Amino acid sequence: MADTEKVRIPPPFEEAMKSLEREIMRFILRSTADREDSLDLFQETWLRAYRAYPSLRSADGLRPWVFSIAANLCRNRARDRARRARVIAGGGLEGDIAERIHLSAGGSPDGMIGLKRDLQNLPGKQGRALRMRKIEGLEYTEIATALDCSAESARASVYQAMKKLKASR
Amino acid sequence: MTPAKITAANEMNRSEFNDREVDTLIRRARPAIRRAMRRLKRPEARVGVIASPLGRLLVTEGPRGIANVHFLWSKSADRPLEMLRHRFDLIENENWRAALERELGRYFHGDCSVLDRRVDLTLVESEFQRRALGHLRSIPNGAVTTYQGLAAALGYPDAQRAIGNTMASNPVPLFVPCHRVIRSDGTIGNYGGGVDRKLMLLRGEGFRLKRDLKVPAEAVLGHRKTRIYCRPQCSAARRANPVNALIFADPAHARGAGLRACKLCNPG
Repeated sequence: MADTEKVRIPPPFEEAMKSLEREIMRFILRSTADREDSLDLFQETWLRAYRAYPSLRSADGLRPWVFSIAANLCRNRARDRARRARVIAGGGLEGDIAERIHLSAGGSPDGMIGLKRDLQNLPGKQGRALRMRKIEGLEYTEIATALDCSAESARASVYQAMKKLKASR
Repeated sequence: MTPAKITAANEMNRSEFNDREVDTLIRRARPAIRRAMRRLKRPEARVGVIASPLGRLLVTEGPRGIANVHFLWSKSADRPLEMLRHRFDLIENENWRAALERELGRYFHGDCSVLDRRVDLTLVESEFQRRALGHLRSIPNGAVTTYQGLAAALGYPDAQRAIGNTMASNPVPLFVPCHRVIRSDGTIGNYGGGVDRKLMLLRGEGFRLKRDLKVPAEAVLGHRKTRIYCRPQCSAARRANPVNALIFADPAHARGAGLRACKLCNPG
């Protein structure tokens, strides 16, 4: 029956995570723009991923899956911060994306300030999709897994985000 | 995304937070992760696919012994693997796998001492099942018991169906020899890996079973308390408490287990 089936045993968690550590830390750094928060969230991402790792059938899906854990934690942290009305040291991520989009379009430095604000005002899902696509270089299928939506929806989110940014200029 | 675009994205990533800065943060995060992992860490277990005359086996050995043997020919490995990964951090180890394969090869050539390896029954659900499987390990090579006899030995003489379910869900077949339990009418009954495999295992342990799958005429009844074996028709055997009775393939196996022949029926 299944005697010839290839048994795929996923690699140990630490080994599988080793190649993703930097990417995840960078993603969290960009999302929080705070080094101390990044340390906390990196640890939390690691531990949550370790706890849930047995449910992941194949190591192929590890990258988008860990990104989705990190993205959810970053979103929760941002919500928590907003609820407590704390001032988040901001602008880091949005500033970087704004700079890239702005400079690639050949814009002037004055337009940057408006673009940063527009990025901050993007709806949560569109902002996250744009970050994963433009900064992390994730495929649409990977973004879809991370955001728990379809690949078409991920593509549409990135498209809508870019459209809004262009319209606001 | 094209490879060129991926490279461009990676370039941008690096320029934004350089690798050294990111590595420093990861190093700072590590001690806290290590401390937390001490509480969360699952025990490590070695796992490997072993080829045997029965077919391919997925074997897992944890720190306390063999924890799982899965017959790959009967069911897919997905579910047992997921269940095992919730209990253990699985590590593939080729040296261990090859050594175990050699050992099991010895078993199939008649060396039953191989099955004396330590077993870990943590995957067994209930205490009753754990007791039943623990008791099974005391049945020697070349002997079988019945579902009813095993139930009686545990103090539940009517629990033969529960024993059947326990054997069906045995997580460590071969090493916990559930193939050494047969029906009271002398037929060999069912097996998780298939009746053919049970037949093959019992024949390998000395039972000359025929097509009717009944225990052969040369089998003798052994009594663990009195250390005496008799012919099944012997009046002494009929009087013996079934709790301690075992069926041996032939007189030689009974003598091998340290029993002496009955002086009434003289079974040979």
